[in-house]
Amino acid sequence: MTSEESTEATAPVASLDGTIWAEVDRALSGITATAERGVLDVIVHVPPAEIVRALKALKADATLNFDYLRSLTAVDNEDEGIDVVYHLYSTTAKHNLTVKATLPTDNLHIDTATTVWRAANWLERETAEMFGVRFDGHPDPRTLLMPEDMDDTFPLRKDHPLAEIEVLQGEGMGYADEEAP
Amino acid sequence: MVTESAHEFETQDLLLNVGPQHPSTHGVFRMVMQVDGEVVRDIIPYIGYLHRGAEKLCETMDYRQGIGFMDRTEYLAAFNAELSYVMAVEKLAELEVPDRAQWIRMILVELNRLASHLMFMGAFGIDVGVFGTPFIYAWREREAIIDLFEEISGDRMMYAYFRPGGLAWDVPTNFVARTREVLTAVNQGIADFDGLLTKNEIFVARTQGIGYVSAADAIDFGMSGPSIRASGVPLDVRREEPYLKYDEIKWDVITEQDGDVYARYLCRLGEMRESVKIVQQCLERLQPGAIMPEKMPRMLRTPPGEVYIRTEAPRGEFGVYLVSKGGNRPYRLKVRSACLSNLQALKHMSVGQYVADAIIVLGSIDIVLSEVDR
Repeated sequence: MTSEESTEATAPVASLDGTIWAEVDRALSGITATAERGVLDVIVHVPPAEIVRALKALKADATLNFDYLRSLTAVDNEDEGIDVVYHLYSTTAKHNLTVKATLPTDNLHIDTATTVWRAANWLERETAEMFGVRFDGHPDPRTLLMPEDMDDTFPLRKDHPLAEIEVLQGEGMGYADEEAP
Repeated sequence: MVTESAHEFETQDLLLNVGPQHPSTHGVFRMVMQVDGEVVRDIIPYIGYLHRGAEKLCETMDYRQGIGFMDRTEYLAAFNAELSYVMAVEKLAELEVPDRAQWIRMILVELNRLASHLMFMGAFGIDVGVFGTPFIYAWREREAIIDLFEEISGDRMMYAYFRPGGLAWDVPTNFVARTREVLTAVNQGIADFDGLLTKNEIFVARTQGIGYVSAADAIDFGMSGPSIRASGVPLDVRREEPYLKYDEIKWDVITEQDGDVYARYLCRLGEMRESVKIVQQCLERLQPGAIMPEKMPRMLRTPPGEVYIRTEAPRGEFGVYLVSKGGNRPYRLKVRSACLSNLQALKHMSVGQYVADAIIVLGSIDIVLSEVDR
């Protein structure tokens, strides 16, 4: 997994000029991170095995100082694995960064970020119960929103059915071809 | 569990269940408190009673239909919730919102902030034990604002009035005059609250010095809104990453230094005055014009991409993380709830306080469980 990432690691492309990527790249020295420019923030891809090291480095760096975890969630990309997404902010330097780690579907383990920000606690519990991502080392790995015994089905995964509504709307009964009112 | 106390005899800790249906929990929230006499030793919060899977449902709806779910997520400040959502769609679809629509949006979200803070004042008064008067005062002014919202959108709580690109329809012709009327009433209401609570000896005695959270802890817990600004952190999305027209008008970020329950009350009171100032300036700048872009696609589609939009809702940062893979529906929609992050700090703020004070601490975060659970 790490070897795949490292072959993709390249120098920052031209579109990243004028962003904080140069600073981030310096802070993440020794970690094979790649970046792309998002609509608002720079998106940095980090190998899952190094995620906590990367987040700690981003928080500890004096210039970057990402001391505020805005949001933590996941995106199910089906066959391409599950992205764990961290939205960081610096309350002093006032800049944003999106950090992503892609987990392969057969190994949904990632280290907990609760050691970096306490804010990650409930957000990781929610992500765990909704996507089945295991946050290793989490201090309180109970469910958050779901019933306590509901630990074998993951509602926000794409393969989880949304039964009633799908029956109601049916296949091919989408809105795309309808006349807008 | 038996613990040593200051007394010569041994005491036994008691597990006290609060909620999930209890007036002091502001919704369906349950916490199990471990109490030693009157002192809280530990709190285990349980949430999720109102979880409706709004994020999953939004994945099956087209962009226009998702607006209704945002209303129901943050029902005390539905305009603020809608705003984050439509801004996220606009950002991905690259829609330019006309000026008039932006000014109207700004007026409505600030009025909604006033309505929401009024709700806090009333409910918080009850938590503290000032039953009746503040609640009725709050309802009087909130009613005026809600009436105005009803005249504009046709609904008192679930407005569904913002649209990706602009607004559903233009405001009534008497909108400016009516808003000025409402502002006069709200100004009076703020003065009433100030007179009734701010210097009230009992109120101050019950709120000052409890539920303390330091600036560093507040940042670490990811708190936002008045709850973090009361700890001296001037974190306000409106100022730090201005959206709408917040960079074109004059207003101040209200902060307090004490980080206790009283500071959070003062912060909200100050913010209400600022909101009135913002709305007044918006009314002066409001010009006739279009409320939707000229070239609006009949069916709204977004190119593949992702965006995390954050706006300052009354309770803090309301974020919408929207991932699109093309088409007319979100591939993934995540709502960043301000209350969820604020609520995480409840244990930190309440342990070591009296049981009665823990209720006030909970009230001072101003939670909306519908937003916490989604």
